[in-house]
Amino acid sequence: MNYGAIAWALAPEAILALTALAVLGMDAALARRWSVPVRWRAAVAAGVAGCLGALVWMAAADPPGRLAGGMLVLDDASRFVCQALAVLTMASLVLSIETALTEHIGEYVALMLLATVGLMLMAGAENMVLVYASLELASLSLYALAAFQRESRHGLEAALKYFLLGGMSSAFLLYGMSALYGLSGEVELSRMAPKLARLGMDPLLIVALASVVVGLGFKVAVVPFHLWAPDVYQAAPLPTAALVASGSKMASFYLLIRFMLEGFPELAGRADWRGWEGGWMPLLGMAAALSIGLGNLVALVQSSVRRLLAYSAIAHAGYALLGVMAGNAEGTAAVVYYLSTYALAVIGAFGVAGIVERNSGGDRLENFAGLWQRSPLLAACLFVFILSLAGLPPLAGFVGKFAVFAAAAGAGGGGLGLIWLIAWALGMSAVSLYYYLQVLKQAYVREAEAGRGSSAAWRVLPATRVVLLGLAVAVVLLGCFPGGVLSWLRAALGS
Amino acid sequence: MMSWIREWLWLIPLAPLAAAGLLALTPRAGRRRAAWLGIGSLSVATVLSWAAFFGAWPGAGGAGREVNFTWLTFGRTPLELGWVLDPLTGAMLAMVSTVALLIFVYSLGDMRADPNFTRFFCFLSFFAGSMLGLVMANSLLWLFMCWELVGLASYLLIGFWFEKPAAAAAAKKAFLVTRIGDLGLLLGLIYLYTETGTLLCYDEGRGCLEAAALAGLVERVSVGGITVATAISLLIFCGAIGKSGQVPLHVWLPDAMEGPTPVSALIHAATMVAAGVFLVARVYPLMDADVAGEPGLSAALQGVAWVGAVTAVMAAAIAAAQFDLKRILAYSTVSQLGYMMMALGVGGYAVGMFHLIAHAFFKALLFLGAGSAIHGCHHERDIRRMGGLRRWMPVTFAAHAVGMMALAGVPLFFCGFWSKDGILHAAWGWPVSRLPFLLGLAGVGLTAFYMMRQMAMVYGGEYRGGQLKKEIHESPAVMRVPMVILAVAVVLLSVVGTPAWPWLEEFLEGREAAVRAGDLFEHETLWIMGASALVMGAGLVAGWRLYGRRPQRRADAPDPLRMAQPAVFSLLEQRLRFDEVYEATVVRSAAWAAEAWDWLEREVWQGLMQWAGYGALAAGWLSRLSDEYLVNPAFDGGCEGVRGCGRGMSGWHGGRLRIYLRVVAAGMAAMAVWLTWG
Repeated sequence: MNYGAIAWALAPEAILALTALAVLGMDAALARRWSVPVRWRAAVAAGVAGCLGALVWMAAADPPGRLAGGMLVLDDASRFVCQALAVLTMASLVLSIETALTEHIGEYVALMLLATVGLMLMAGAENMVLVYASLELASLSLYALAAFQRESRHGLEAALKYFLLGGMSSAFLLYGMSALYGLSGEVELSRMAPKLARLGMDPLLIVALASVVVGLGFKVAVVPFHLWAPDVYQAAPLPTAALVASGSKMASFYLLIRFMLEGFPELAGRADWRGWEGGWMPLLGMAAALSIGLGNLVALVQSSVRRLLAYSAIAHAGYALLGVMAGNAEGTAAVVYYLSTYALAVIGAFGVAGIVERNSGGDRLENFAGLWQRSPLLAACLFVFILSLAGLPPLAGFVGKFAVFAAAAGAGGGGLGLIWLIAWALGMSAVSLYYYLQVLKQAYVREAEAGRGSSAAWRVLPATRVVLLGLAVAVVLLGCFPGGVLSWLRAALGS
Repeated sequence: MMSWIREWLWLIPLAPLAAAGLLALTPRAGRRRAAWLGIGSLSVATVLSWAAFFGAWPGAGGAGREVNFTWLTFGRTPLELGWVLDPLTGAMLAMVSTVALLIFVYSLGDMRADPNFTRFFCFLSFFAGSMLGLVMANSLLWLFMCWELVGLASYLLIGFWFEKPAAAAAAKKAFLVTRIGDLGLLLGLIYLYTETGTLLCYDEGRGCLEAAALAGLVERVSVGGITVATAISLLIFCGAIGKSGQVPLHVWLPDAMEGPTPVSALIHAATMVAAGVFLVARVYPLMDADVAGEPGLSAALQGVAWVGAVTAVMAAAIAAAQFDLKRILAYSTVSQLGYMMMALGVGGYAVGMFHLIAHAFFKALLFLGAGSAIHGCHHERDIRRMGGLRRWMPVTFAAHAVGMMALAGVPLFFCGFWSKDGILHAAWGWPVSRLPFLLGLAGVGLTAFYMMRQMAMVYGGEYRGGQLKKEIHESPAVMRVPMVILAVAVVLLSVVGTPAWPWLEEFLEGREAAVRAGDLFEHETLWIMGASALVMGAGLVAGWRLYGRRPQRRADAPDPLRMAQPAVFSLLEQRLRFDEVYEATVVRSAAWAAEAWDWLEREVWQGLMQWAGYGALAAGWLSRLSDEYLVNPAFDGGCEGVRGCGRGMSGWHGGRLRIYLRVVAAGMAAMAVWLTWG
């Protein structure tokens, strides 16, 4: 094993980890002398610089490919996911200046970066030990990040729930992986696959498969393993929630796809209408159907925007599962594209919600009333993000959804076996329009409440403005010019 | 060298468009920001455009002038867009961005007092971006999109003072009339797509303007025995007629003068209205495609030439009898666009484009001069109530005079002379007929006449506007400087377009220019130059004798030309009654058809419908009952059910951790059980 090559290949992750340490040291050294706002800016600037460094490295260097005998596979597609993760982390970091939620700034930023390192390794891990280690690095960082508002009871409660449920699902995953190792004697996904194929539907294998689905289903928040999500999205500090909703979901989905397509290619089964065969397909199909239904229906009656976004996130996870069930490169490309566009929009929506929350004291729908008068820019950005989440053309969300549905429809030789699930998803998308438009109605149609400075403009930091505008422009551009990225991803995953 | 600009050409339209987007979000009070954003973004575009101009140099080299990309894929059909950097695009980019930049600066002064200054710059930037996008398009679909966007910008800007009924009506008229032409263009593009399967002009041999596609188009025969190429060309030319105000769709352009003067200068004189000419130039290989294969003789180009020639002389005649300062210039624009069309039609591709560019500069200059005069006279636009402005506004007078001499074609030092002369030369050489040449020559005389009339009435004689005399003032420097720059440009342009060194024309045709001093003294060239100078001189003298020698003293004195030829004058003053004819035919027949349908509806169908109605009423009652007692409750119940489901499910998320953990475990157990026994 050539350690030099590994170190070279993992340089982006190393840059982020070193930046995390540097931020910790810098903040500890300067904490006494500088005021809190200055420390926030300095720490975030350092963190953003680290992310940019990692991004530049990834963009400039060729992807290293298989490393350490197949332990890590850093190909074009996983490097794309890593780059998206770095971008999302940058956006979350900048948004956290606005919230200024804690005085332990160095720790906060360092944990954000470490979580990103974990997520990036998750996207490349092929070896179950490494999968688990990176998953735990990311998860533990995120648990701690969720608990950062120590004075908020709800925040702590949510963090504790996240931790306990997360711990249990990790246990399931670990149990499942140990059973898989026991059955096959291998820890690497691709080598495990042929040995498992010979076993058929062994009872222990069924338990292992179900455990893995539980563990990963928790990370991507699909029904019935979604219960933590609304609480965490609502009560965790806003940038944490944004990172959990975007980056963590993206990396976990990518891991889920690799696990299923490379670890259990022979155990897929079928989830066709009237053509069920045991395997992970029917499990995911059921989870997708339940998530799409429950997420959209429960979102209808929410009055808190963050909670609304949480349920809509559950529904979006359901849509994305359709792409996983396509079971081919096209489906994977569609899911990655879908999730990156979703992540951009959801981070933006969380950013706007954070500003509304800070200025008006809550994230209920009424708090958004008259946003148009207070800040046309915020309202316009929110308009783009929400309509992209709702999947209206010409925004990126539409293209992503279209690609995922098209991939699901074309899977299995064009037999249209998944058409029942697509029809259900389309119907529920129509339902979802109702609650998405509720948010916009508040922002655009309703007048601001009298009192509370009524329609006075809100102050928004220039950096936040730049980030929100950048996200909105990216969503519009990815929607108007979908061809390049999507076909690039298909090519990268097809080879 | 310079090949980087080809890849980055998209930045040119993007900069003003982005500025327009930002300006749309800028509140009214942000005037300073609006000016900076608009002018700043356009400066970026101008610098890049000049880089593109030099990048399109014939010697710049590098095969493949086009950059194409796939925009969308429907099934297996890719929809491709792209841009092209050929000499035509390069020259147009440089011209449009430069003229636009000068007019943006001029607007700072002209629109200074307008409360909607920010909106003005937003629309103007939007226009500039769309126009720059139009001229670089390699895909005719892209061109059509930009074509419609500039049409929208024109509509918005003509109606900028929408509280004035005339402006609102003019905006509507412009939009509707050009739409008639656009319908033809759209049909032409659809036809072209069905025949060739692509809308890319150039695509490494597969484009619709390249030899392979054209050969097919020429061979097939369409309705009425004409070739498919001719049919498509004529349909596309319909769009050009509408946009460039050619007869019979020219009626919108004079009305468009209701917009602010910088708009008239930029959109309705220099750039957008020339888009029709540009379109013909862009699809010139298609227009020129003919079975015989001789250049300049295809049926489509013959149509272009005749339409252009008739427009040129007719609009010039109308211009001689107008009193609104801007309307005179508007008819002059229509006439000059006719010259350009005629040039393209008789095969003078390069000289037509040279005239387009020259015209953009001197007509923008004339409009800025007119705007400055109007600005100085407190928004008075009637030339009968102006006069003697030379004394108060020397710079405006000088600039306007340069523009006038360029338009009239005063020999040697003004670009208008050389370009117009080139057109006449090309028309003389047209084997089909000499009549366009004669019409063009007559137009030259008329042009000189109406410009002399305008100059004499605005700047000569005594002020006839009554009380406001004391307050006439020269415009501020921010308006004067663009005029001076344009005036210098008009003179400088004449250097690069003479027959002795036809640099610009050779550039447009993709060749290196050489000095051929001998060409200047060729027999035919000299002969035509002499004839046109003579006719121009006659026009000037006639104008001077009628209006300059004995200037009018009062605003209500009758026009000298009216006294000489009352019947002709009043016909021309009423613009040959085009509007009235349209009112009497198109508008009235539309109204008549509406009346007829209304009558049919009331008297005939209604009787039938009455009985059907009773039947329907009965059915209606039935369905109402079913609606009220079955469908509505079911739908309401359904909606309520959906919400209720949500509420019910939301109840499961009560926040009790024990229950959450149990659900996870139960989910796992259910999956295992299902897979084992399911």
